[in-house]
Amino acid sequence: MKILKANAGSLTNFEVLDFLRSRGAKVDPMGCLGVVAASECKVYEYLLQTPACNQTRESIYEFVKRSEGFRLADADKLNVINWRPSSAADAYAMIEECGRRFNRDERGETCDEDERVQEFLDMVKEVLPPPPPKAEAEAEAEAMQE
Amino acid sequence: MFSLSLIEHDLPMPPHLLSRPLLDAIKAELERLFLDKVIANLGLCVSVYDIRSVEGGSIHAGEGCSTYRVSFRLLMFKPFNGEVLVGRISGYDDKGLQVSLDFFDDICIPGHLMQFGTERGPDGRWMLKTEDNDELYLDLDDEIRFLVSSTKYLPIPIEQKEGDPPFAPMQIVGSIKGDGLGLLAWWAADEEGEEAAEQ
Repeated sequence: MKILKANAGSLTNFEVLDFLRSRGAKVDPMGCLGVVAASECKVYEYLLQTPACNQTRESIYEFVKRSEGFRLADADKLNVINWRPSSAADAYAMIEECGRRFNRDERGETCDEDERVQEFLDMVKEVLPPPPPKAEAEAEAEAMQE
Repeated sequence: MFSLSLIEHDLPMPPHLLSRPLLDAIKAELERLFLDKVIANLGLCVSVYDIRSVEGGSIHAGEGCSTYRVSFRLLMFKPFNGEVLVGRISGYDDKGLQVSLDFFDDICIPGHLMQFGTERGPDGRWMLKTEDNDELYLDLDDEIRFLVSSTKYLPIPIEQKEGDPPFAPMQIVGSIKGDGLGLLAWWAADEEGEEAAEQ
């Protein structure tokens, strides 16, 4: 075995999910057998619980285009696409040195970093589809309404 | 979290696969060889992504199989350092927490990479003491967000003693020291609190 290229490109969770779907992966454990391997099936089930489950190619292209105004590295973009931050705390976890990145706007002038982060989060919220509510959260919401 | 690796391999094709179309047979053989296995420094192989080229097919003297030189790409699970992942807590001991991603279990978060003030509670669970003297427990099956701090590929042990944990060829060290890291519930609750305050 010869490794020609250890890293021939990173994939987002969505791309992996899309690939597994095209291979015929399904949630039903019996439907999976024979079509895809057990390892692929497990990864597929894990990815279905992440925000990648209802993303589309278009929404990711749109995000990449609109994130150009923000000074983000590719790794940061990958984190954001995979996990879709919804609060400032999430963004600080996913983006390295978030404070320093966000204290300038697209023209390079200094601006308030909290406002800039909020602007970024609004953009993420608008472009990337929200993950479907989880069963537990739904039950809780129903209990709240009652 | 996932990346592709380009690999070239001299693949002996066992004769019982000769009845199948060549590409199908090669793919099945590659899956048998690599799937669900850890390749040192490359990561855990999840799937065969595509086959780039197939060359040769020569039969060596004294062998009953033809050997092809195949170059292909594997879909590897290989998180980079600094990547954010979400998993479930699957265990704890005095070293730290064990986290599972359902398809990958060998992740540990050592005590020194937890938020400042995290210690073991009287019953052995890890907990975070906040400034207001609240005790936030890190419980089994809680969803936890962590940062990948390093990935280790351990050499295969020569001797396995009885009672040793099963050998883990790839081990990820995670960190929950920092903003937005730790149990998802901590930060979700935070958000609701803020909203309530705004209202």
